[in-house]
Amino acid sequence: MANLRNFLGKSWNQRYLFLMVLPGFLIVLVFSYFPMYGIQIAFKKYSAARGIWESNWVGLKYFIMFFNDPTALRVLKNTLLLGIYSLLWGFPAPIILALLFNEIKNSVFKKLVQTISYLPHFISTVIIIGIIRTFTEREGLFNKIASFFGVDPIVFLSEPSWFRTIFISSNIWQGIGFGTILYLAALSSINPALYDAANIDGASRWRKVLHINWPHIKSTTIILLIFSVSGILGTDFQKVLLLYSPDTYEVADVIGTFLYREGIIGARFEYTTAIGLFQSVVAFILLVAANMISRKVSDTSLW
Amino acid sequence: MVGKEGIGSRIFDLVNTCMMLLLCVVMLYPFLNVIAISLSSSEHILRGDITIFPKGFNINGYSYIFKDPFLYSGYLHSIIYAAGSTFCMLAFTSLMAYPLTINDFVAKKFFAIFLVITMFFSGGMIPSYLLMRSLNLLDTYWVMIIPGCISAFNVLLFRSFYQSIPTDLRESAVIDGANDVQILFRIFLPLSKPLLATFALFGIVGSWNGWFEALVYLNDESKYPLQLILRKYLFTLSFEAGSGSAAMQAMLSQMKMDPKNIQMAIVVIVMFPIMLIYPFLQKYFVKGVMIGAVKG
Repeated sequence: MANLRNFLGKSWNQRYLFLMVLPGFLIVLVFSYFPMYGIQIAFKKYSAARGIWESNWVGLKYFIMFFNDPTALRVLKNTLLLGIYSLLWGFPAPIILALLFNEIKNSVFKKLVQTISYLPHFISTVIIIGIIRTFTEREGLFNKIASFFGVDPIVFLSEPSWFRTIFISSNIWQGIGFGTILYLAALSSINPALYDAANIDGASRWRKVLHINWPHIKSTTIILLIFSVSGILGTDFQKVLLLYSPDTYEVADVIGTFLYREGIIGARFEYTTAIGLFQSVVAFILLVAANMISRKVSDTSLW
Repeated sequence: MVGKEGIGSRIFDLVNTCMMLLLCVVMLYPFLNVIAISLSSSEHILRGDITIFPKGFNINGYSYIFKDPFLYSGYLHSIIYAAGSTFCMLAFTSLMAYPLTINDFVAKKFFAIFLVITMFFSGGMIPSYLLMRSLNLLDTYWVMIIPGCISAFNVLLFRSFYQSIPTDLRESAVIDGANDVQILFRIFLPLSKPLLATFALFGIVGSWNGWFEALVYLNDESKYPLQLILRKYLFTLSFEAGSGSAAMQAMLSQMKMDPKNIQMAIVVIVMFPIMLIYPFLQKYFVKGVMIGAVKG
């Protein structure tokens, strides 16, 4: 009892602190926690009139439906493949660029190139799509290049076989420069004495990169790799949504776009919530697994 | 040392410089090309021979776009959403982070855990949509401003920034009889100006470039932000000749305009504010990424 009084008295003294937290608390409660509560419709027959709580339970119906739906399985496969390919191509790119930036001796030139390479990061996806469309159309730059090599014009955005290439390469174009920042920060913390010592030992530049630069960016690399692996299902579906068309659904349709089409447009709320839940559970497992593996292998981990 | 450099090293420097120049071209060309197309005549656009300079210079695309009232409403709404969400983000984040720095605060641990949970779990697209619908927030300004304005990550970043402020400052203010609200506004926030500026830019750019929330939560075209107006132009005026409405086609050919003329004009218009503040922007963004990295 005395404890409680003590606690309440202290809380009253700290009422300003509670007031400060209040707006943020309410926003997070309503817009982050209420939707979590809403996940239960994945197991219910949702009725807007009766509300989430009063709707009837249907068990795992929608999950079973998901695993028997060929479209949904295709969507799952596309999401995984797009994620894996994006990781394979997109992850090393900024590391290599950062190492190359680091070899530029003229600091003005280096700064200039860096600044220019960050630019696409700041441009909205919708604009990027406008540019991609311009470049890939029949009279666009890519077909000009193709025809230079004697290849017949390709309607890139209607060709399923080109979708992943276009998606991933434009992602790299957009993110490679900005992605170097963390690696460059790690590189700039290297003690110059290490290079002097290496020079005395007669180390070549390649050796210096291998034995000085790389060890210094290794832990940054691992942390970012953990994030990337856990984000493998979290493809930038907003970009896919702008880039795909019924012609390319067979490779382009991913979980996010499927949720949007079936859920928001098609109003199949329970089914798509179930798929969304499945996606977050897998993403969470991936995060934990990637973290665990990295802790075992390299002593670097998020927690 | 320079004299000792081997021939291999010099060749590498040369190759590296060439690659960097190529990189600059690859990064800049698309933007210059877009600007050039927006100012070119339809026959050159159809032939596809425009590089970085306009051919058959004209501003028909722009004069067409500037007649569309939705462009202005889009601009206005993008500004409202960007200003509103950024202001709320800064206000509520800086308020919420402060009590979390005070070790003596009774609910510190509770609120910290409350926030961290949202970094790992979320309701997802559909439950969020249903929530907005049941709260009658669809097609309102609020839905574009309030829901996204607090992120656990930002609050924790603000907290660690506050923690770098010497505790003596707070203690002496307490002795002088200042309450926590005064301490936050008179001591902590003035010292956090660089942080606030960085996050203001993050918020503004994020909101300016965002479009998906608007697509999901807004049906009323008169409330669309600029990005959705741009999207509309990109999707309804098709690039391939023959599609699109007949009236539109007739009008375009009468004006000797290619749809792309208009599309690239609006791309330039949407891009313009970002390009204008870009030098300033990238400096702060680099700093912001560092703040995040130190924390993460």
